Amino acid sequence: MVVRALPAAAAVAVFGSLYGAAARGFLGVPLTLASSLLVYSGALQFALVALLGAGATTLPLLLTAGVLNLRHLVLGAALRSRFESGPLRRALLAFFLADETFGFAIAAGNAAEPRAVGAATERTLLYSGLTLYVAWLVGTVVGLVGGGLAAVEGLAGALFPVLFIGLAALAATRRSHVVRAVAAALLTAAVALLLPDLRMLAPVVAGVVVALPGGDR
Amino acid sequence: MSPLVLIALALITYVSRAVAVVLLPRPSARFETILSRIPAPIFASLATATLLGDGGALASGPTLAASAGALLLSPARSLLLCLIGGAVGYAAGALLS
Repeated sequence: MVVRALPAAAAVAVFGSLYGAAARGFLGVPLTLASSLLVYSGALQFALVALLGAGATTLPLLLTAGVLNLRHLVLGAALRSRFESGPLRRALLAFFLADETFGFAIAAGNAAEPRAVGAATERTLLYSGLTLYVAWLVGTVVGLVGGGLAAVEGLAGALFPVLFIGLAALAATRRSHVVRAVAAALLTAAVALLLPDLRMLAPVVAGVVVALPGGDR
Repeated sequence: MSPLVLIALALITYVSRAVAVVLLPRPSARFETILSRIPAPIFASLATATLLGDGGALASGPTLAASAGALLLSPARSLLLCLIGGAVGYAAGALLS
């Protein structure tokens, strides 16, 4: 499982280094490191740097965190139906919930025997989560000490759509899932073009909207 | 930004992750069916979102080529093949651009 997460971990480390280098000037070294240790959310942390750069006060920072994190509710609900462990273990696993780790966990559950879905999903969320967490921290430290990985930013950036396409393919176990995936992609593109301010929320909203109607074939 | 604000941000993020995973009871069969339909559309949407920047600007040529390579091999339903397709696409895109 760790091996399967390594390409994503490499890309996460690159973006961690970019975050560390960008955040250092606004947060200083201790808070930059603490933010990656405690928050562990690339989308939110980059948004914070941008907001701090624009001179934002506390309230916009907190509101942004609330809005950007809304997607976790949907991802968490989709995973909850597969979890079998008690609340304490689920509380630990929740820390590692991110777009990529959600994908690895869902894919592992889909590939497992019916009676092993819960264990496979939970184990994969933990191991892939730890792998990406360490990568994010290492990348942040590299950025903080001035080590630049900007040269491979383009390659790392290309990995995310490729990864998400692969995860979509793994998650699409029925023909209707493929149709819904295409519909969601089109809906997201339309939102990005017509309502650019809602671009960050579009993936989750589109995912939920296309999941609601009809049956499965 | 103060350490207190950072702690508040960390708490908001963790609670958003934990609330459904920890507090939600196991969903009903009907709700579970709907939830099982969500992952593929979300990943397709995330892929789309990463290819579109502010104002709908498209990603770079090599990134688009990498995505096309992955998409081409996606019917095989193998993450490894999608990554290989993406790598080949990226290399081809970088050569052409």
